[in-house]
Amino acid sequence: MLGYEEEIMAELLSESSGGLVVLSSGLRLQTLVTSLISLHSPPPPPTGTLLILTSSPPPLSHPLLAEIPGDLLSSHRESLYKTKRSFFVTPRILIADLLTGRCEPRDVSGIVVMDAHRVSDTSKEAFVVRLVKIKNKEVRVWGFSNRPQAMVSGFAKVERIMLCLGVRKIHLWPRFQVQVSTDLEKNPPEVVDIRVPMTLAMKGIQNAVLGTIDACLKELRGTNKVDVEDLTVENGLFKSFDEIVRRQLDPIWHTLGKKTRQLVADLTTLRKLADYLVRYDAVTYLKYLDTLRASAGTRSVWIFADSSYKIFEFAKRRVYQVVSSDGSKVTSNTKVVGSKKRKLKDNLKNTKHHEKDSLSSNDRCTGSLLEEVLEEPPKWKVLRELLEEIEEKRRKHSLLEEGAYDDDGGDNEIILVACKDEFTCMQMEDCITKGIKQVIQKEWKNYLLNKIDILSLSKQKKQKNQESKGFGVLNGEFSTRAGENIRACSMNVLENDVLLAAASKIEKEEKTSISSDPEPSIGKVSSLKVNNKCKKGSTNVLVSRTKCVNNSLGECKHGESSVGKKVDNEVESDSKEDKQDNVSIPFLQKHSANPKRTDLNHAKSLPPVQFYAIDSGKNILDMMKPSIIIVYHPDMTFVREIEIYKADNPSKKLRVYFLFYEDSTEVQKFEASIQRENRAFESLIKQKSLMVIPVDQDGQCTGFSDPESLILSRSSTRKAGGRKLKGEKMQVIVDMREFNSSLPNVIHQTGMRIIPVTLEVGDYVLSPAICVERKSIADLFQSFASGRLYHQVEMMSRYYPIPVLLIEFSQDKSFSFQSANEIGDDVSSSNIVSKLSLLVLHFPRLRLIWSRSVHATAEIFASLKINQDEPDEVKAIRVGVPSEDGIVEDDVRAENYNTGAIEFLRRLPGVTDANYRSLMDGCNSLAELADISVEKLAELMGGQKAARTLREFLDAKCVTMLR
Amino acid sequence: STSTSTVNRNAILVSHRQKGNPLLKHVRNVKWVFADVVCDYVLGDSSCALYLSLRYHLLHPEYLYFRIKELKKNFKLRVILCHVDVVDVLKPLLEVTRTSILHECTLLCGWSFEECGRYLETIKVYENKSADNIREHMDNDYMSRLNHALTTVRRVNKTDVITLGSTFGSLSGIMDASMEELARCPGIGEAKVKRLYDTFHEPFKRVS
Repeated sequence: MLGYEEEIMAELLSESSGGLVVLSSGLRLQTLVTSLISLHSPPPPPTGTLLILTSSPPPLSHPLLAEIPGDLLSSHRESLYKTKRSFFVTPRILIADLLTGRCEPRDVSGIVVMDAHRVSDTSKEAFVVRLVKIKNKEVRVWGFSNRPQAMVSGFAKVERIMLCLGVRKIHLWPRFQVQVSTDLEKNPPEVVDIRVPMTLAMKGIQNAVLGTIDACLKELRGTNKVDVEDLTVENGLFKSFDEIVRRQLDPIWHTLGKKTRQLVADLTTLRKLADYLVRYDAVTYLKYLDTLRASAGTRSVWIFADSSYKIFEFAKRRVYQVVSSDGSKVTSNTKVVGSKKRKLKDNLKNTKHHEKDSLSSNDRCTGSLLEEVLEEPPKWKVLRELLEEIEEKRRKHSLLEEGAYDDDGGDNEIILVACKDEFTCMQMEDCITKGIKQVIQKEWKNYLLNKIDILSLSKQKKQKNQESKGFGVLNGEFSTRAGENIRACSMNVLENDVLLAAASKIEKEEKTSISSDPEPSIGKVSSLKVNNKCKKGSTNVLVSRTKCVNNSLGECKHGESSVGKKVDNEVESDSKEDKQDNVSIPFLQKHSANPKRTDLNHAKSLPPVQFYAIDSGKNILDMMKPSIIIVYHPDMTFVREIEIYKADNPSKKLRVYFLFYEDSTEVQKFEASIQRENRAFESLIKQKSLMVIPVDQDGQCTGFSDPESLILSRSSTRKAGGRKLKGEKMQVIVDMREFNSSLPNVIHQTGMRIIPVTLEVGDYVLSPAICVERKSIADLFQSFASGRLYHQVEMMSRYYPIPVLLIEFSQDKSFSFQSANEIGDDVSSSNIVSKLSLLVLHFPRLRLIWSRSVHATAEIFASLKINQDEPDEVKAIRVGVPSEDGIVEDDVRAENYNTGAIEFLRRLPGVTDANYRSLMDGCNSLAELADISVEKLAELMGGQKAARTLREFLDAKCVTMLR
Repeated sequence: STSTSTVNRNAILVSHRQKGNPLLKHVRNVKWVFADVVCDYVLGDSSCALYLSLRYHLLHPEYLYFRIKELKKNFKLRVILCHVDVVDVLKPLLEVTRTSILHECTLLCGWSFEECGRYLETIKVYENKSADNIREHMDNDYMSRLNHALTTVRRVNKTDVITLGSTFGSLSGIMDASMEELARCPGIGEAKVKRLYDTFHEPFKRVS
């Protein structure tokens, strides 16, 4: 443990009620939680069980820590709660167990809430804390969070979180806190900041994406429905931007027009485009754009914006371009190219460069219309060079010191390369083992082969259609193609033909190469004229070294300080790089030609490299103990993790390389993320100084009184004539899935007893007669669209005398569907009024509840239950469950089933309500289903036709990007 | 007289009590005629509606009860068309909700005369309409069905469906894919890979 961590623990334990800890992202929460667990374990014997609430277990291990899984039998869970050990448990299961008495609050001595920023007064965690605190005032609650930004997003949010958890103290530990920074900066690692310039095309795309984002934002501002202040392009690069927009628009979301909604969706897409530009290679990026175009269709606003045209054009030009072979051969072609040039006049500078290169190489290969550009991501080459340089240095070093080098132990040989995602990791691994060119060639080949697959399929289909139905293009096939054509209107047909021609050529090559030796085939591939900009222009990498960590880590000053400043004592590295550049090319060819001998050569030139995807969130640093870390995609959290790793191992030599694209959104995002966190902490510090947390005489937080006493006193005055006996409590049966909403919590607060079970029909059962399906507004619209609501109401009407649809508005949103002027002149089938009318016409017995808020709902429920019998739990569970598999008796059903897979299964053609259960019995999982024969399927599904339908659907070739 | 009866069949019958209700101005898509009827509006052979303004209800809380009592059980669908024209809705709406459920009426809320009028029009126009519009249905072409199935996995969108489809060729290909293969698809991140893989490979029944 580091010094500041010990201090946090000391502070935390000095408070009897617990506390809320907010750390900078990347500082270890795990250590704190593990030390809580260690302190909890005997000796001295703990007073009760320590429960750690998480929706997904964090990467945290401790010999004394176990998980309480949802699929464990409830009786087992009951005995576990009594053991006084430490457990992970999901709040949903814990709520159910607390409500059913399987978990006795007095057995709990402490609750740890991870992700405390998610807590609100209606959240599950708050419900758990309340259920325990009512019965057991002594329980200590610790909340942890490392997302300060999320804590300042609403009005007095921290204060409310603290009230919910019943804690009085908040502990703020930002990265800039004095002790944290002294601890982390005592032995700073050596940092090398490498700025890689982007290619012209990349810059072009980035500008175009940012331009389009700006255009979308302007459009959004024009709707006058959002606050302009937060809507900046810079904010637009963050995921949380979606939250900002959604929070503003949510109250009126269902009243928004299609166009505004599309704008919000488009902004998300554009943010991804900006992000992927620096993460993916040119071919993958183009592929992504193609899929995007195929799926977004005509609905997207941005696709038709002026600047988005540039995105597509540049993206294409990074991969290939179409040129006429000798001008006279295909007149239409030259025209097309010409028109494209005209459109791109403003970018002529960039394109000219390309054109020259391609034309010169084109001379050698007449008749070819497709010119490969295949731009390599500049970072790839830099990474490779960097690795070579590192190896060179090591070799020199070891020669000098004759094996004395490994005084740090053998493990320090490992070089860790941290990328954002698994995809990049695998790609970079290929780059290193197979060579950069091979990787991009492979992507390109796949891209082309994909095209040809689609073409051959569409041809087949067309033929089939003509044969079978006689009027070919007029059936379904035509309509989809027509749609595609509209989408592809900007793509010219010729270009497509050219692409397909190239694709078929590659396919032929593939086929011939299968029979022959792999060596020549590789040779052929590399002899294809590749117009590689990276190779030609000497890479202008600015390498600068600074010994001062503070500049690069933590605080973001490196932007100005290090770029362009080539430190003199490192000049030799540049010349060395050049030398290696020359060396590496023959090496690469040798390497690719003799795959079997790579191991030997490889070991000489490149050090052992370990790749790590930051997204995977594994704690790899302590495991691998690397001595050199290359941060391929800069990430604030990971930087902090490196700092801590270094502080933990002060004697270890550690060098960290950062690869940034110069002037890219990558840099912008990295710096802004640090600033955002600092701002959040500053605001939290201010809030802390003004905070008022009410406590009672014993110093306990207020608000945890038992609602039972509440309802008793109320019923004795108000319902003196009621037939409820004193002490008899109102009961509501609640579906387990409903614990994701806040209504059960609120109902419990009003003093009713909640019986959690898994219901097949309805969400709440108020009495033997009344069954309620609850819909929030968003749910209502969605389930009308999907048809789920109709089915649910149908089921309720079948089994209950009084089926009820509860339409629950949310307190902070407007209480109406639409304003008067949005209603329109005609009866339109898409309007919510029409859908509701149709529903009530078909189910005249259906009752509707219109509720202003969750709290109103709880009151309505209470009033409906007056003079009604209490619902029967056993009966309610049975309702709607087919009797033949009447094994259902326990309420953990939902946990025992892979509900996602079942929902998926039921949506496959041929699968019906009648046969999906036997399908589930017959095959273990969906993956197994994928391999089952038609005969077996027919047996399971009880019919040839259904089986064939399903099998055909599973095997049908996916024709996605028809052009 | 036959002609008048056909007119009446295609028109909303409006009680004389409703004379002067501004709502009537907004009933334009169907004909309406005044008639001697017990309820406020007769919307079809088996459906009728009572109009209630919440503001009026606050002044005369017993009104609704007496009107419902008059109705007897002549209609299958008995709508209480509640005009939400007060700001503080909690108490009056609770009372109206309770009354309507206890007395077997369907409560519909409108926030403007336009919306209330539209409910009346729609119920009349849709009198004999099938429920297809709100039933589960989907386009039967391959892509919609594929979308329909794959988008059950949380956060998987239509772009991802296309990516998956074009990468693996068929649905069974997607279902058989390894985690690594899934991770190689552009735009499909760590979390989505895991969710997809779990959906396909976790057994349907976790406990045997």
